[in-house]
This record gives sequence, C-alpha cells and structure tokens, in this order.
Amino acid sequence: MKRKPILLAFVLVLVLALAMLAVACGGETTTSTGAVTTAAPGSSATAAPSTETTGTTVAAKPLRIGTSLPLTGSRSVPGEFEKQGYEVWADLINAKGGLLGRPVELVIKDDASDQDIIVADYNALISQDKVDLLLGTFSSLLVLPSSAVAEKNNMLYITPAGLSPKIYERGFTKVFCSQQALAPDAGKVWANYIAGLPADQRPKTAAYPTLDDPFVSPVIDGIRTILEAAGVKTVYTTTYPEGTTDFDSIVNAMVAAKPDLVAQGALFDDGIAVIRGFLKAGFKPAWLYQTTAPGQGKQYSDGAGIENTEGIFYHVSYAEPAKTPGNAEFVKRYHEMFGPDPIAEDVADAYAAGEVLAAAVTAVGSLDQTKLADYLHTNGVQTILGVLSWDAKGIPTGEMMIGQWQAGVVQVVLPAEAATTTNIIQGWKPGTK
Amino acid sequence: MTKLVQTLILGVLVGGVYALLASGLTVIFGVMRIINIAHGALMIMGAFITYTLWHYLGLDPLLGVVVTVIVMFGVGWVVYFVTVRPVRRAPVTSSVLLTFGLAFFLEGVMGFIWGNSARGSRPGYVETSFNLGSLYIPKGLFFGCLLAVVIMVALQLVISKTWLGRSIRASASSEDAARLVGVNIPMVAAITFALGAASAGAGGAMISIMSTFVAGSQILWITRLLSIVVLGGLGSVPGAVVAALILGVGESLVGTYVSPLWSPALSIILIFVILVVRPQGLLGTKLREDVAQ
Repeated sequence: MKRKPILLAFVLVLVLALAMLAVACGGETTTSTGAVTTAAPGSSATAAPSTETTGTTVAAKPLRIGTSLPLTGSRSVPGEFEKQGYEVWADLINAKGGLLGRPVELVIKDDASDQDIIVADYNALISQDKVDLLLGTFSSLLVLPSSAVAEKNNMLYITPAGLSPKIYERGFTKVFCSQQALAPDAGKVWANYIAGLPADQRPKTAAYPTLDDPFVSPVIDGIRTILEAAGVKTVYTTTYPEGTTDFDSIVNAMVAAKPDLVAQGALFDDGIAVIRGFLKAGFKPAWLYQTTAPGQGKQYSDGAGIENTEGIFYHVSYAEPAKTPGNAEFVKRYHEMFGPDPIAEDVADAYAAGEVLAAAVTAVGSLDQTKLADYLHTNGVQTILGVLSWDAKGIPTGEMMIGQWQAGVVQVVLPAEAATTTNIIQGWKPGTK
Repeated sequence: MTKLVQTLILGVLVGGVYALLASGLTVIFGVMRIINIAHGALMIMGAFITYTLWHYLGLDPLLGVVVTVIVMFGVGWVVYFVTVRPVRRAPVTSSVLLTFGLAFFLEGVMGFIWGNSARGSRPGYVETSFNLGSLYIPKGLFFGCLLAVVIMVALQLVISKTWLGRSIRASASSEDAARLVGVNIPMVAAITFALGAASAGAGGAMISIMSTFVAGSQILWITRLLSIVVLGGLGSVPGAVVAALILGVGESLVGTYVSPLWSPALSIILIFVILVVRPQGLLGTKLREDVAQ
C-alpha cells in the first residue's frame, strides 16, 4: 500500500521532468531553409559541388550551423535578441544563395542561461547533431565554457558576446568575438570624454556598483581606472551577486555617498532596478553610465520608463542609423520579420557574427576550421558594425562606440567619426518627456 | 544615523512583503506536510497575471491582486488535484521531487504563454516616495507591505476564527481524529493548497511592481522563502512573519554595511543557526517523533 504513492510520485516526476526538458531546457529550433536556386553559367555566385549548374532549382544539402542560446533563464532577454539576429542573417544569406552554394540551416538549442547545460548543448551539437559550423552565445559567463568545447573539438567559434579578457587568455586559436573591443576597453571612449571635460564641468566623485560578472565588472574597472587617474574620487564601490532582487540597500548606500557620477556594471534588470531605486530615493546623479542594460532597446525603456532614460550613456557596438555596408538591408529585413521596435544591440552583434563566419567561409572556400581561423587572424571583415579585425589571440582590435539615450531613441555620440548626432546631453535627465 | 534609519525602514518594508510570500508556503507544509518547491513559480505566475491586467486593462496591480488571488486559487486547486494529491501521503522527499519538477514545468508554461521578455508593472506611484525629512518611504513598497499585512491578517483570521480554519488546524494536528469528527480531509487539503497558491499569487502581484521578472525568476525566490519558513517554524504563519522581518532587515543591513555579495548568504546562515539552536524554528512546535504521524 505504501509503495503505490511512491511509485506514482516517481512516475509523475518522470513525466514532469520530461515535460521540463522539452519545454524549458532542451528546446531545439531548426530553421529550415528550403531549396537554393543555383547560379546560371557565368554569374558571380559561388557554385557548390552538389548542385547543377544549369540554372534549375535543386535542393542542396543544408549547411548546418549550431548554437546554444539562453532563451530562458536570467539572460533570456539578450538571448532572444541574438536568436533574432541569427535568423535575419540566415534569411538574408539564403536569399543570396547560401554559403558555398548550400542553404544555411540554424540548429538552435536553449541553454537556460546555465553553464552546465551549454557545455552539454555544444557537445551535442558537435557529436550528435554533427553541425558543420558553430556560432557563439550571449554573455562571457556562457562563452567561457562553450568556447572551450569548440576549441577542444577544433571548431571555429565566433561569438557575438564574450568580451571578458579571460576568454582570450587561454591560448585558444579559434575563438573570435564579433564586436569591436573587449570589456576593459568598452567604456574607454566615454571615460576619456568625462576625464577630458573642463574642470568645472567634470564630476568630482563617482560610484561604481557592478554585477559580479566576468564581462561587466572589467568594463567598470576600466572606466574607474581612467576616471581616478583624472582625479574623480571614488566614494562608493560594491559588487552584487546575480539574482539580487532588492537594490534599495545599494541605492541607499549610494545616496549617502552622494556621487556626481554613477557607472554601473548592469546586465538588464539590475540596471532598471537601480534607476527605479534612484527615483524612489529622489536622488539623481549628474552622470549615469550603465553597461549592457541600455542596449536592450524597448524592454529597457519600458522597464525604466522611457522618460527616465534621457542622457544615460552606455558602450554600444551598433547604431541602427549607421551607414555601414549592409546595414540598411539588415534593418529592413529585421523590421519585416520582427516588427517596428528599435533594433537591440545584441541582434546586430549576432548578425555580425554571421557576417564574419560567412566572410571566412566564402574566402577560404571550404569548411576547414583551421583555415577559417587563420583567415580571420590575418584579415578584417566588413560588417554592419564596421570593419572588425582580430589579433593573434582573437581579441578584437577596434574601438567601442558610446551610445546615449536621447528623446527615447539611442544615438551614437562618440567617437565623433561614428556619431549619429553632434548633440551630447550633459548628464542624466530623468523625467524628460 | 539617517543611513541606518533608512536601511531599517527599507528592511522592514521588504520583510513585510517577504512575509506574504512565505505565508502560503508555511501553511501548505503545516497542514499537508508538503514542501512546495513550486511556490516560487506560482508567485511568478501571479506576477504575470497582475502585469497582464495592468498592461491590457489598466488595472492597478494593488487592485488587480483581487483578481490574481481568485485566479491563482483556481490554479492551485487544479495543480493540487492533478499532481499533488497522488503524493500527499508519500514521504516528504517525494513531494519535494514532484514540486521541483512542477516548478520547472510551470516555468515552461509561463514562457510559452508570456514569452521570455522581461515584464514589470509601472503604475505611477512605483517610482515615488513619501518623504519624512531626509528619509524616504517608497510608495510601491509601502502599499505592497500594507496589502501584505491585510492579506496575512485575513489569512490568520480564516485559520483561527472560521470553521474552515478549525478544519485546517485539526487536519494539521491529526488527520484521523479530524476525519472522525466529520472533517472532509481531501477537501481541506485541496483548499489549503489553493489558499497557499492564492497567497503566492498575491505575493506575485507585489513582485510585479518591485522589479522586472521573467519566467525563470521563480528560482531566485525559493531559497529565500524556504529559509524564512524554516527560521519561523514550519507551519507557523506568525513565525514566518517574524522570520521574514528578521531576514528583510538583515539583508538590508548586510547589503548596506558589509556587501551585497553576502546578502544571499544570510538566509543560508540563518538556516544553519536555527537548525542547530532551535530546530523547530522560532515559533514552531516541537513534536515528539514517537507519536507524530
């Protein structure tokens, strides 16, 4: 009699666990691509061995590209954006004939923002799904273990995120980031701008609250180094763990310290929480910089209140109005597929990762992973983010731009040559309609 | 001094909300001896429902909590009969396993319905405060704490003054004896679980104005709530209130004066201490193992 409830419990647990795996953790999305129209003789399209060259439409074997993204869990917001970026890229590249004459097929897994799951996912992509190529994921926390799997299996790994220096200190040869600079330099342009202000306009004190994260922490450390050297006194620093839900105590401590400038290492909800906390406390630091969070587009402005975003700075790799090659086409197709909301930075970073991969594959003409990596080590690639290039460690050699929320939209304000506006709002102005 | 007083104010307000979040969990254990790991997921479901009412109908979250509570009562009822009732008499480990899986199942369901975009209710008062000189009392947190008090008082009145409440207490004390005096045990168990889910939903309404959330946010809360329940005494609502206030104030003090990195550790430390010093919790009742059912 006693065994029956226990047995029933285990059956129920098994059913629920299977449902959990299917719905929450192991969801795989495959984007099928259909047929590819082959090139007529004499055209410039790349021919593939498996297709005829008579101009008839045949079904070429898909080129499978695998990735695992945080589509659920703490990083689901940017994870979903990256998925959109990959899907737009796959759509556009297939419209032009695919890669090596083969249609691109994305194999996307959900790692639930978990390091253990992403390791399992990439192992599965390589050994079970046997994908031809890999693309990276969001956040240094997830890139660290997943890139190790790729490197161990001798596969190229191009990641739209992963700006922690730790990723590139391991001697890996096939890991590349499709952004312009790493974390310690991400806020450099902004910090130098602040440091270069006339003494009577420059903030005197600063606070640096940051998430305990391998990406955002180095960004804030880089900013702090520059500002302290310029004489901006640090009056408060703190690191908070992931999963922090109550920021009022952190805000309370900052209110007591009264900093002129706050540079926060924020992922998303923590950035919004601190803004709300400041408003509740009636405290408005003259300058506010946040990492990552302001780049989440409408979700950020909805959470913080669009009127409260005015003047917030953040480092940015992408600007929707940019005149870079391919950007107009990308913007048009994105809005056709996903609606009119502004394009979040992570969408563009993922798209750029696809561009980098495509450029390498097209130039090399094969899927030899070592040759692809060698190509990227010695050549720059034109993307919607601008020209991206890397050193021998895979570290990008460019400079991050600085964005600022102005009148409900993001403008690139620095450096001047990349700016989409000449106006730089002097500080944070919450409540601006 | 201002900083200390402000820290205490914030801690008490947050503690009040924690108390509501934990009260349903402790009631369910007290009556049914089930540790409902899915409580966090039920809270987030309540947050989603409250957000939906606010976003699409313009219903203030603190008023929408009435609808949320009713809906979550129904959800709790269904969840109980479909998944929990079969394991009600099984060892505690079985219910822990079951509700653990249930938590992730509900997370998947919420992700399917609402997607994985971050949500948060932003009625006009959520970013404003009452000012007392240099001190500030966030309005959203204040109203939320007030509502939490009202709901917990109502819950306690139901438990202590109504026939249903007497049935719940009788069932918690001895199911066989309660059955002998005419208490419908299965019905009482279902109502208790549904009440727990309803209070979780009310807590979710508070969460929807305190911060943004996604379906996966449920995992952030369950550790804290379990520590409150253990600290206060399993099955004791007044104990949960006291424990919640201790934790709320403690986290606020640690976050302000030590480091926010240590705030999550506080709940774990409190569990260790209380299990060593007073295993039945602050206001829990110690049972003799040889006569316990």
